[in-house]
Amino acid sequence: MAVNEQAILKSEVRWAWVVAGIVAVILGAILFAALSMHVNPPSNREFVDPKTLHLSAEFTEENLGTRIDPDGRIVARVIATQFEFVPNCIILPAQRDVTLRFATPDVIHGILVTGTNVNTMVVPGYVAQVHTQFTKTGDLLMPCHEFCGLGHTQMIATVKVVPPDQFRPDASGRASCGDDR
Amino acid sequence: MATIAEPVPMPRREPAGALTGDLQVRRLVIAHVWVAVVAFAVACLLGVWQMWARSPIEAPAHTAANYFRSVTLHGVSMAFVLTTFFIMGFGYFVAETALKRPVPGLKLAWAAFWMGIAGVLMAALSVVSGRASVLYTFYPPLTATAWFYIGLVLVVVASWIWCLLMIVAMRSWKAANPGQAVPLAMFGTVANAVMWLWTTVGVAAELLFQVIPAALGLNGMVDVGLSRTLFSWTLHAIVYFWLFPSYIAFYTMAPRAAGGRLYSDTMGRLAFILFLLYSLPVGLHHLFMDPEHSNGFKFLQMFLTALVSVPTFLTVFTIAASLEVAGRMRGGTGTFGWIRALPWDRPMVLATGLAFFMLFWGGGGGLVNMSYGMNAMVHNTSWVTAHFHLIFGGTVVIMYFAIAYAMWPMLTGRAFPSMKPLLTQLWLWFIGMMVMTLPWHWTGLQGQWRRIAAFDYSDPLIASWGPWVIVSLVGGIILAVSALMFVWNLVVLHRSSSPRAPVTDVPYAEAVHPPGRLPASLNGFGLWNVIVAVLMLLAYGYPIAQFFIDPPPQAVVHRLH
Amino acid sequence: MAEPAYPMTRHDYADDAAELERLEAALEGGPKGAVAVSLIAVALLMVGWLGIYFLVFLPRGTVG
Repeated sequence: MAVNEQAILKSEVRWAWVVAGIVAVILGAILFAALSMHVNPPSNREFVDPKTLHLSAEFTEENLGTRIDPDGRIVARVIATQFEFVPNCIILPAQRDVTLRFATPDVIHGILVTGTNVNTMVVPGYVAQVHTQFTKTGDLLMPCHEFCGLGHTQMIATVKVVPPDQFRPDASGRASCGDDR
Repeated sequence: MATIAEPVPMPRREPAGALTGDLQVRRLVIAHVWVAVVAFAVACLLGVWQMWARSPIEAPAHTAANYFRSVTLHGVSMAFVLTTFFIMGFGYFVAETALKRPVPGLKLAWAAFWMGIAGVLMAALSVVSGRASVLYTFYPPLTATAWFYIGLVLVVVASWIWCLLMIVAMRSWKAANPGQAVPLAMFGTVANAVMWLWTTVGVAAELLFQVIPAALGLNGMVDVGLSRTLFSWTLHAIVYFWLFPSYIAFYTMAPRAAGGRLYSDTMGRLAFILFLLYSLPVGLHHLFMDPEHSNGFKFLQMFLTALVSVPTFLTVFTIAASLEVAGRMRGGTGTFGWIRALPWDRPMVLATGLAFFMLFWGGGGGLVNMSYGMNAMVHNTSWVTAHFHLIFGGTVVIMYFAIAYAMWPMLTGRAFPSMKPLLTQLWLWFIGMMVMTLPWHWTGLQGQWRRIAAFDYSDPLIASWGPWVIVSLVGGIILAVSALMFVWNLVVLHRSSSPRAPVTDVPYAEAVHPPGRLPASLNGFGLWNVIVAVLMLLAYGYPIAQFFIDPPPQAVVHRLH
Repeated sequence: MAEPAYPMTRHDYADDAAELERLEAALEGGPKGAVAVSLIAVALLMVGWLGIYFLVFLPRGTVG
C-alpha cells in the first residue's frame, strides 16, 4: 500500500509532539504560579486531636474569631462542627496578608469563600490553614462544601472583608463582626 | 503523503467473518445490561428531582433526609451498578465475538452475576431505608449500616471474578493462537480488567480495614486522612474503568460503523496501556485541598495526572484520522469535507461525534481541576459536578447507548425497525447534557457549592444563580426523557412484532494495517504490571506509610442510623 | 437455540479490490483533516484554559 505503517506512525508521533507542547505549557503556567506567586494547595500536616479540641490551647472558645497574634499576623480561627461554624461571621481586612485556621471536633467538613481562591478541606485530626490576601471587599459567603450529615445544608458563615482602614481590632487585638451578627 | 522505499506487502484479505447461530453469552450479556439499564433509569429520575429540589421552584417531598438518600442512590446506581454491570456484560460480549470462541467459565460468570445482584439489593435497601445516606464516596467517620458496605463489597468481588474470566479468556486464546495479535477490542477489555484489579485495592482496604469494622461497632475510631487517601487510590482509575468501553468502541466499533478502517492498531494498544499506567498513580489530585498530604506529593501526582491526558489527546487524533479515512472513502474531499460525508445517521457514528464534543468540555474542565493550586478556585463547586457529568454522561454513557444499540440486534436476533428513535434519543441526551452542565460551570466559578439539599434564595448572590439553576433543571428533564427513550428502544427488540433479522456481522473495525507479529509488550500486560507497581510505590508509598510512621489523631465514628 | 459457529478467519472484511482502492485513495488524502480538526480542538482548549488562568484565577489572589 502506498501509505505504509511507518507513515501513519510518523503522523502519530508528530501529533504526540503537539500534545507534549500543550502539557508543557500548562505545567509551566502552574509552576510559575506556584513558585513566583506562591499559589499552592493548602497542605498542612499539623495535628490536633478532635476529642480534646475544646481543651486545646488554640481552639478554646475565647480564641475563636479574628485577632492579631503576638507576632503581628492577622489570624482567624474557626471551628467547623455539625452543623455550624463557630463563630459564624469573621471580619478580615482586604489587601493584607491574613491566615484562616480551621479545625473540627467531629466529621469531615470543607470551606470555600465565594469569589476567591480560598478553599480547603477540614479533616478531623488536622488544622486546616489557608494564607491569602482578599482582593475585594464585601460580605462573602463561606459555606461548608463537603457533605457532613443531614444538616449540612444549613452550615454557612460570612466573611466580612473590609477596607484596611476600617479594620479596627480592640486593645486585645480582637476584631468581630459586631452585634448585628 | 510520504512513501517509504521498502514496499509493504498488502495484507491478505479473506471473506467476511460471518457468525452464525446464537452467542453462548447471549443471556448473560442481556441480563447484565438490563440490570445496568434499570439502575440507570432510576438514577436519572432521581437526578431530576434533586435539581428540582435545589432550584427556586418548590419540589415535592423535599426534606434533607430525602435529598441525601436520593443523592446516595443516584451516585451508587450510576457509579457502581450501571457501570459495573454494563462493563461486565460488554466484556463477555467482546470475549466471545472478538476472540471468536466460547467464553470459559460461564457458570462462574452467572455466579458472579447473582452475587452482584445480592450486593446491589443489600446496598439499595440500606439506602432506601435511610440508613446509608453517606453518598457513594462514604465520608468516614460518618458511618452507614454495615449492610450497605457489605453489599458494595459483593459487587466488587463479582467484578473481580469477571476480571479473572477476561484474563483467562485472553490467555487461553493466546495459547491456541501462538504468535498472533490479540484482537484490539479484547486487548482493551483485558487492560481494563487488569487496571480494575489494581484500582479496587484502595477502596477494598478502606472498607475492609476501616469502614466495615466501624460500622459493625468493632472500632470506635477511624484515621480519616488514611481513609481518604485509600479512597483516592480508587477514585481516578474508577473513572477510566467506566471509560474503557467507550474507548474500545471509539477504536474498534466507530471506524467500522463509519465504513472505514482504524487508522492505527498500535496507537489503540498504546492508549490502553497508557490508561493502565497513568490512571492509577494520580488519585491525590482529589485531595489537593486536603491538609494531610505535602505539596511535594501533590505536585508529583499533578504531573502524572497531566500525563494521563496524553492517551486521550492521542485518541482524539487517531479516531479523527480513522473517521477521515471513512469520510474520504465515502467521497468526502478537502480538509473538512470528509466530516459531512460521514454516515451520521448511524448511532455509533453519531454517538462518537457527540461524545468527542462533550469530552472537549468535560476534559477542558478537568484540565482546570488538575491544575494544582488552581484547583482551589473550583474544588467542591458545581464546576466539578459539570466536569464529571460531562465525562460520565457525555463520554461514558452516550457510548454505552451506542454499544447497546450495536449489541442488541445480535443478542435478540431482531433488527431495529427504524434508526430514527435511536438518533433522536442520542441527540436529546447530548442537548440535555449541554443545557444542564454549561450553567453549572458558570455558577461553580462564582462559588456555588456542592452536595447541599437546598439553596437559600433570600441571599442576593444565591438568588442570582436561580435562573441558571432552572436552566439546568430543564436540561435534566431532557436527559430523563432521553433515558426513558433508551429503555424503550431496547424493549422494542424484545417484542415479537419487531422484524427477525439475525445479525451475523461482527462489529469490529480492522486496522489499515492489521497487526502481524507484535512484541510481547503490545500483546500482554506482564511488563506493564511491573511498571504500575513501581509507579504506585513511588506515588502512594510514602503518602500511605506516613499514617503509620507518624499516626495522626483519629476521629470518633459518627453513626447515621 | 442454535449453536454458535465461528468462522476461522482473521479478517472480517470482504476481499473487495474496489474497496481497497478507495481505502488507498482515502489514505492519500489524509490525515490533513484529522490534523486540522485536532489542532483546532486543542487550540480552543488552550485558549479556554489560559483565559480562565489569567482572567479568573490569578485576579482572585494568592492562596497557599
